[in-house]
Amino acid sequence: MLLCDFHIHTKYSDGSVELRKTVDLFGQAGFDVIAITDHVVNGDSSIGKIAHRFRFTVKEDNFNNYLSNIRQESERAWDKYGMLVIPGVEISKNYLSSDKSAHFLVLDIKEFIPANWSYEKIFLEAKKQNALIIACHPHHSSEITTRDTLFLWNNREKYSKYIDAWEIANRDDVFNVISLSKYPYIANSDFHKPKHIYSWKTLLNCEKNIVSIKQCIKHNKGVAITLFRN
Amino acid sequence: MTLFLIFVCLTAIGLIAYGFQILSIRSKLKATNIKIKEARQFLTSSESFCPPVSIIKPLKGLDDNLFDNLESFCLQDYPEYEIIFSLQDCNDPAYKVARKVKEKHPDKDISVITERCNIGLNPKVNNLIPAYKIAKYEHILISDSNVLVSSNYLKEITKHMKDPSVGLVSNMIHGTSERTFGSILENLHLNSFIIGSVCLLDKYLRMPCVIGKSMLMRKKDLEFIGGLKAVKDVLAEDYIIGKRIHEMGKKVILSTHLIRNVNEYWGIKKFINRHTRWGKLRWKIGGISYISELIGNPVFMSFLPLILLEVSKITLFFAMFVSFVKILGDIYIGKLIQKQIKTTQLIKQKITDSDALTFNPFRYFLSPLKDIIIGIIWFIPLVSNKVVWRGNRYKIGKDSQLSLCPDTGILLWKYRLLNALKTRFA
Repeated sequence: MLLCDFHIHTKYSDGSVELRKTVDLFGQAGFDVIAITDHVVNGDSSIGKIAHRFRFTVKEDNFNNYLSNIRQESERAWDKYGMLVIPGVEISKNYLSSDKSAHFLVLDIKEFIPANWSYEKIFLEAKKQNALIIACHPHHSSEITTRDTLFLWNNREKYSKYIDAWEIANRDDVFNVISLSKYPYIANSDFHKPKHIYSWKTLLNCEKNIVSIKQCIKHNKGVAITLFRN
Repeated sequence: MTLFLIFVCLTAIGLIAYGFQILSIRSKLKATNIKIKEARQFLTSSESFCPPVSIIKPLKGLDDNLFDNLESFCLQDYPEYEIIFSLQDCNDPAYKVARKVKEKHPDKDISVITERCNIGLNPKVNNLIPAYKIAKYEHILISDSNVLVSSNYLKEITKHMKDPSVGLVSNMIHGTSERTFGSILENLHLNSFIIGSVCLLDKYLRMPCVIGKSMLMRKKDLEFIGGLKAVKDVLAEDYIIGKRIHEMGKKVILSTHLIRNVNEYWGIKKFINRHTRWGKLRWKIGGISYISELIGNPVFMSFLPLILLEVSKITLFFAMFVSFVKILGDIYIGKLIQKQIKTTQLIKQKITDSDALTFNPFRYFLSPLKDIIIGIIWFIPLVSNKVVWRGNRYKIGKDSQLSLCPDTGILLWKYRLLNALKTRFA
């Protein structure tokens, strides 16, 4: 089984650890697959504007640099740890209301996708790039410091056809609604600080290459979750 | 005023002891530099003493930098050796890392064993016993999972075993790669008090000082003192092994080859827990001599008049002055260590290890704060002899003898209540 974490932030957005050190942290801990998914935040709301002001977002002008650095690290991680590093982003549509806010991962992204676009446009563009879409922390979270992002769950009938998998667990939270709805699932750390490495993770029973991993998540066969603790 | 003068005298004694620590580190490291030429000749000569070695690495959980730490043992410039990674459970997160290291180095003689052994109370010894049973060679190296070594490490330590009167070789350690507040404090402590005390005991007091992170010995010597089973119920198995080998008339050597203890992401709680445990251990082993540790902490002694007497210009100036001296001393030790690594290890290996070569003097300004915390921790062993180690609760007796101490009665209720409250508020 491959030990995976598909939701990791670095200093490219609001993470506290540099990209290289983040890759090393997971590599040293024996992970098989990780995805670097820094925030791409919408700039059309007051909260979004703050993220842009404090550079807590990947922007169009530094996206190529972001992607090429991940690819460089991906090669290094493969040679050193035998670990696959997938480039991705977390499209973050932040609004004052939790019901309007939504976060979702775009894994194996190739070109920049602005968070200001409409949901349909973003999803179609992601599909065009053959990327995977994962809905993040879709239900009420227990963490006091984080704001809920409920839009996708509240509008699941409209959007679930675009979503390849839902986070059934995020860091310490478990969202049983995903299980009850029988949606495809994975579990991630939403890594921002080194201590977040000890959290819910995904185990995949497939080959260690991007095509097999994407298929495994999409078909949701051979997927398990585990609480990674030291 | 009299009381203040007493504190001044005690602080002065502490500073003198600290001065001796610096001298002993300097002399140890200087001895290494003098011997570099000699060692290089030794390493290249065909007559090098390189007996086959069984390296036993007990693993439990993820240490910082675990993959590199384990891999550094696969990259030894040494003719014949085996590595045994020993775990109690294949669900341990370190198991996957050990397997990965083994897969990356198929040309090396590496075994990963998982065997639950509950023969004793010391979990590290329990972990060592199954590996020791299958170790092929006469020379055994017990090495902790949180150390990173250079490629000449094995050659450097085995050369001492050429002398049959040497029974055990241990190494000096230094903390490196700190990235969080807790790990800065930890490395400051390892690179001042711990390394200083070890060198002082070895150089001036001729006391066998063994650090469990690296212990090379012969099987027959270990068997003679009763094998690993003889230390299955003690917390300080390294100290007891060293002491017994010394008592049987063999030399216990402290190699000048520095090994790195990578502490990157420690929290303050981990730092406090470790030094509380070590303090309890030293109190139970050293007895009354444990007091010397308090006097040997000049910063803490110099701050006591501020707390116990009054905050005045003179008490404040005194504390500031001692802190400043201590910072300078710690920076000097840091520089000595860095110089030694550069000359004997990294350059030789052509390694560009930025963490090991970076020297940040500003971190040393936290040194007085660290000493104050250590000063407070010093008192805990006087009132409590219980430790929680690797998930088990023990009572420590004389010579660090362990006995199980399960939570019962009111204690159990206290923990249950605390846990319930924690869960509720989470």
